[in-house]
Amino acid sequence: MEAIRPPSYSAANRDIIRVMFTPSAAYLIGLGISVALVGLLGFCLIPEVWWGMGMAGTNNASFWGTYIVTFVFWVGIGHAGTLISAILFLVRSKWRTGVYRASEAMTVFAVMTAGLFPVLHLGRLWQVYWFFPYPNQRYLWVNFKSPLMWDVFAISTYFTVSAVFFYIGLVPDFAIVRDHNKGLISKVYNILAVGWRGTNRQWHHYMAAYGFFAAFAAPLVLSVHSVVSWDFAMAVTAGWHSTIFPPYFVAGAIFSGCAMVITLLLPMSYIFGWKDYVNEWHYDALAKMCLLTSGILTYAYATEYFIGWYSQNPHEWEIFYWRATGEYAWAFWLMVFCNCVAPLPWYLPKLRTNPWVLWIIAGLINVGMWMERFNIVVSSTAHGFDPAMWRMYSPSMWEVGILLGSCGWFMMYFLLFAKTMPAVAIMEIKELIAAPVKGKLEAK
Amino acid sequence: MSTAAAAAPATTRIKAVYGHLDLFLTGIDQLKKAGIVGWEVVSPLPRHEMLDIVYEGRPSPVRWWTLTGAVSGLVGGFLLTSLTAAQWPMINPGGKPVVALPAYAVIMFECTILIGALATGLGMVIHTGLPGFFLDQAIQDPRFSDDKFGIVFTRAREDDAEKIVAILSEAGAIEVTTGDDTIYEVPNA
Repeated sequence: MEAIRPPSYSAANRDIIRVMFTPSAAYLIGLGISVALVGLLGFCLIPEVWWGMGMAGTNNASFWGTYIVTFVFWVGIGHAGTLISAILFLVRSKWRTGVYRASEAMTVFAVMTAGLFPVLHLGRLWQVYWFFPYPNQRYLWVNFKSPLMWDVFAISTYFTVSAVFFYIGLVPDFAIVRDHNKGLISKVYNILAVGWRGTNRQWHHYMAAYGFFAAFAAPLVLSVHSVVSWDFAMAVTAGWHSTIFPPYFVAGAIFSGCAMVITLLLPMSYIFGWKDYVNEWHYDALAKMCLLTSGILTYAYATEYFIGWYSQNPHEWEIFYWRATGEYAWAFWLMVFCNCVAPLPWYLPKLRTNPWVLWIIAGLINVGMWMERFNIVVSSTAHGFDPAMWRMYSPSMWEVGILLGSCGWFMMYFLLFAKTMPAVAIMEIKELIAAPVKGKLEAK
Repeated sequence: MSTAAAAAPATTRIKAVYGHLDLFLTGIDQLKKAGIVGWEVVSPLPRHEMLDIVYEGRPSPVRWWTLTGAVSGLVGGFLLTSLTAAQWPMINPGGKPVVALPAYAVIMFECTILIGALATGLGMVIHTGLPGFFLDQAIQDPRFSDDKFGIVFTRAREDDAEKIVAILSEAGAIEVTTGDDTIYEVPNA
């Protein structure tokens, strides 16, 4: 298996910029479908704004439904980007270079998508500003002891830091795009590159700042989904109130994020002919990450059942038994199949580099991780402590439309990114290419 | 012309372009050994050999921005959570403390990261001198974002120009230009 293998600095510039600004018919069709799905999202939102949250399938028992499931799903997807760009940067892992830019973009767009759902879940969207910490008319502030408020801080910090980290990484590459183009494009990219020229002064402070950004972003990766998990774990609800939630959620987030990177980047690297930059080496590493996190998830699922049984707490055991045998058993077993069984073929090295196997398993993992959040969010509220309050939840057609629309929203941004920004980090690719030397490179 | 302006030594631009990293490093090294100052180097990527030879291990002051931002965020997060709660001390559900550090640690952590990261970004912008739209035209050479390395004097004393050109050429530059010739014109632009 070969690593990154472009022949020269110039070739790296040329190959990565070549695919920009030239949309094919297939690309335009894909973009059109994405925009149509965004339209569907807007259309399905109208009844909710007009008539209220009654248009969703939620009820007095199952008060959290598709919106919260999908919120957690997209936040989870947003984890792999910062993991790959920050943590793997700090440990100087070379395989990150080819995939980190697209993963970072995926993170930013996934968090932008996730951010839609708490707003939608409010019902009264126009009061979204109530989330933010400011005193109301009686100088009473938001409750900083609430995990929901922690989540507002965690997600907004994660989005801000990820977006700034993404942009700072892009600055030298925007300068390359500027220098490879003329006229208006060159002028626009000069503004995006904020006049970057690559002087010693610029590189010196840039590299220091980049390292600090990575150091800040690394604990964020671990903290954000821990905080999301506390939205559940802090509630005294059977199936949620568990100390295993933070590591379990973080492992699940990295698992789903890496699978989504494979889902998006695999077709992209083949369509753009980027075999020299993103290839089996990267997919093998991503599949190994998925295998590791799949193992952690499987262990977490088993531990939940073991503790439910071993604690002899009837409410705990009831919810776990019901998840596997009750009305939502299909969702539970689909989750187990997709997250615990489907990745197992990747233990064979050949199957970690076969594009079809990679893409199909990654797709199954995406489905499985949405199902995991459905299991956690819906089953515990639908089947609470009091049997008189057991209410089943099924999403309304408006919620399904909004779910599909969120996929379109995400894909629209990702497709726009693929044609307007270097989707592989050119400057960092150059760091992997042997520098042109005439004699011997010696330390001065 | 004022007396001061008349007394100021005449200056010129000098630019050397290198196609090989080792020759480029030799050029910088020779300039340093000759005690010549006032140069900038430009490169398509941040080679550590280049930064080592230019800065000799001196760290970037951006780290102070990072530290200041992170500490401010931590303290700010504590003040935001505790002072706002202390403003309404009668709201005390379940006998729990009004200022509850374990619960506020999450907000404090997030504020530390957020303000620390933003301060780092601000420090980087200030120290790098961005935006760089008005950098000298000799530096604005598209070859330096492609595969060439450069050493640029934007205001070299004309008296020293000959010596500098000789050093840069001997180091193996593929092109050494002076004055207005340092401004690169893109072919067929």
